[in-house]
Amino acid sequence: MINRVTHQSVQRSTLANLQLNLSTMADLQAKMSSGKKINVPSDDPAGASDMLRLRGEQRVQNQYKRNADDGNAWLTTIDSALQTSSTTLRRVRDLVVQSGSGAMNTPAREAIAVEIEGLRDELLQQANTTYLGRTVFAGTSDAGVAFTVDSTTTPPTYSFTGAGSATVERRVADATTIRVDADGAKIYGDGAQSVFALLDTIAATLRTPGGDATAQLNTLDSRFETVLTELAAVGARQTRVINAQTNLAESAQTTKTQLSAIEDIDLAEIILQLGMQEVAYQGALGAAAKVLQPSLMDYLR
Amino acid sequence: MSTFSGLGTALSSLIAQRQALEVTGQNIANANTVGYTRQRAALSSLPAAQLPSMFSTTNGPGYGTAVTDIARLNDVFLDAQVRTTTASSSYLGARAAASKLLETNIGEPAATGLATQLTDLWAAFQDVANTPNKESSRAVLLETAAAVGDRIATLYTAAGTQWTQARTQTASLVEKANTAAANIADLNKRILAVENSGSSANELKDQRDLLVTELSGLVGATTRTQENGQIDVLVGGNMMVDGSKARSLAVTGAAGFSDATGGADVQVVWAADTSRSAGLEGGQVAGLLSVLAPPAAGGTGGMLTEAAASYDKLATQLATQVNALHGQALTTAGAPGGDFFAFEAGRPAALGLTVAFDDPALVAVAAPGAGALDGSFADKIGQLGAAVDGPDAAWSAFVVQLGVSTGSAVSRATAAEATRASAAAQQVAQTSVDTDEETVNMLAYQRAYEGAARVMSAIDEMLDTLINRTGIVGR
Repeated sequence: MINRVTHQSVQRSTLANLQLNLSTMADLQAKMSSGKKINVPSDDPAGASDMLRLRGEQRVQNQYKRNADDGNAWLTTIDSALQTSSTTLRRVRDLVVQSGSGAMNTPAREAIAVEIEGLRDELLQQANTTYLGRTVFAGTSDAGVAFTVDSTTTPPTYSFTGAGSATVERRVADATTIRVDADGAKIYGDGAQSVFALLDTIAATLRTPGGDATAQLNTLDSRFETVLTELAAVGARQTRVINAQTNLAESAQTTKTQLSAIEDIDLAEIILQLGMQEVAYQGALGAAAKVLQPSLMDYLR
Repeated sequence: MSTFSGLGTALSSLIAQRQALEVTGQNIANANTVGYTRQRAALSSLPAAQLPSMFSTTNGPGYGTAVTDIARLNDVFLDAQVRTTTASSSYLGARAAASKLLETNIGEPAATGLATQLTDLWAAFQDVANTPNKESSRAVLLETAAAVGDRIATLYTAAGTQWTQARTQTASLVEKANTAAANIADLNKRILAVENSGSSANELKDQRDLLVTELSGLVGATTRTQENGQIDVLVGGNMMVDGSKARSLAVTGAAGFSDATGGADVQVVWAADTSRSAGLEGGQVAGLLSVLAPPAAGGTGGMLTEAAASYDKLATQLATQVNALHGQALTTAGAPGGDFFAFEAGRPAALGLTVAFDDPALVAVAAPGAGALDGSFADKIGQLGAAVDGPDAAWSAFVVQLGVSTGSAVSRATAAEATRASAAAQQVAQTSVDTDEETVNMLAYQRAYEGAARVMSAIDEMLDTLINRTGIVGR
């Protein structure tokens, strides 16, 4: 159908076109000023879903990073405690070996016994090392110390406060948790079997005239061995945490890039589109001015 | 053919051209009047008086001209097309507007939406898993959880507010439709009276057409023209305007959002018999009714009540999944955890979702037998965020579904609006006044008037010769 054309229909269609041009321009300007392609889900439902997922991932990765940092601090604390413990135990061993020489008289043996008792207290302190108020060797315990000492008995009794097999874990990835505490009972022993009781026994033996403390060397060595083994295990776990931190930093970068690709505008493209739209709008305005001006009245006397 | 009949012929032309010029004047005066349909004076020549008798002879040319009708140059098919397209465009437009508002209200995918708050909640659980001994991280967890509850409640309330507004709008639009129908009936009456008296009712018809189009946009009206020129307006197959009688519509059914979520629908019925539904098929009111509909199986109900059902489901899912884990865990003091989230009795799940306690010490995250400061259950709860059947996945699915349905609603509405605009443009092209055309007509009528006047003076001169200069030879 060929339409009849009147001033009113020209005016209306011109107005409609101008409106269309202007709204496209407003759209582009909104994108330009917000810097975002997707402002409501219907702008791009699939993109919006990706955005939600990536934003969630970003938040989760952030949390995993916090977890890993915290785990790293735990493991560093354990590492330094175990290093000190191994030095202490080495000193104990030296003293025990020294006491074995026949030249020792009673005051000298007494002096060694006192030093060993001092070293025992040091060791106990190391076993009770805390990080942010948590004992690192009895992770889930709320007793405040990993080993309690009952000095009312002779020799004193030592008991481990940790709960069975409970471990402290930090989640560093969706499917990965890393243990960040160490089992105090395994490292230092519990009750009469503990390294503290052992040191008490050594001190008592030294105070007993004719007592031979070197008989305990084997037991002492096996404790020393245990500490070293645990030290290696803690080191390995710390490496895993550090690897996880690196991975998290990388994937955070990837997620950021992906998110940006989905939600951020391509500035060059938008600027170009805006420029083209401006030209179109100006053209439309010019055309409107030309079309609406003339009337037959101008040409009649 | 009498001596003076030529004067009569010229006079008939003078009268007719003047009337035609007046019609042109009316057209130009209404060049910008909305709904005005251009008119044209229909001139026809008057035949010579012919008496079919035995000795009748032809007695010369006809007796001039006369305006037999002032025609209204509309096109009923274009008018019908405008009405149909207006009805469907208004229907889809109402749905698209509601969908867009709902979409804006959910506030996604902004960085402050519910999705972010949910991930914050899981992160807060992870923090408690890291430091179960710190009351501060537990307190943060409780606040974050309360914020999630508040957010879901806000979403629910927003849907409720939108429902109430749509309900109010429906009532006022139905009122508007009733007024329009009453006005159409009144115009029908006046048009019949005017035309019976032999005058032209073109301007009244313009008004009536405008009202019918408005009524189509509101309730999807179709029309039927009676033989006497009155029009009947049918809504959903029943007469809303029958000649000079109008029938009213009324809104019944669910009055509040809680009625609608409970399964009651809002209905538009005939005021005279409220048990009969009007069965609206198009128009803004029908669009709003579909928005106001109660939830239906398969998510095909009204968008607002469906959204509310989704919020309820999300709140229940969140509470059930978190409570299931929290209930197994122990507090630092060794007491069983119980429920983490609770619902206020007698309210929709989404509105009543709260944290069951305010004492941070009651947050239970320790596995039984694993030591007081164990945090493994907090970690397990924190993993719900990544679960395929977790609240996050459900929320994301809802957002995407809403985005898709809004996108399709908007594009359907845009297409329908384009069709309506093109029909309206065709109608305007047919009915609007073209000033150039009117100028030309004006010129033609003016010249014809001048010509008729010239004929009259020619006859006058002829008669002058006959009467005053005949038989005066030699005087």
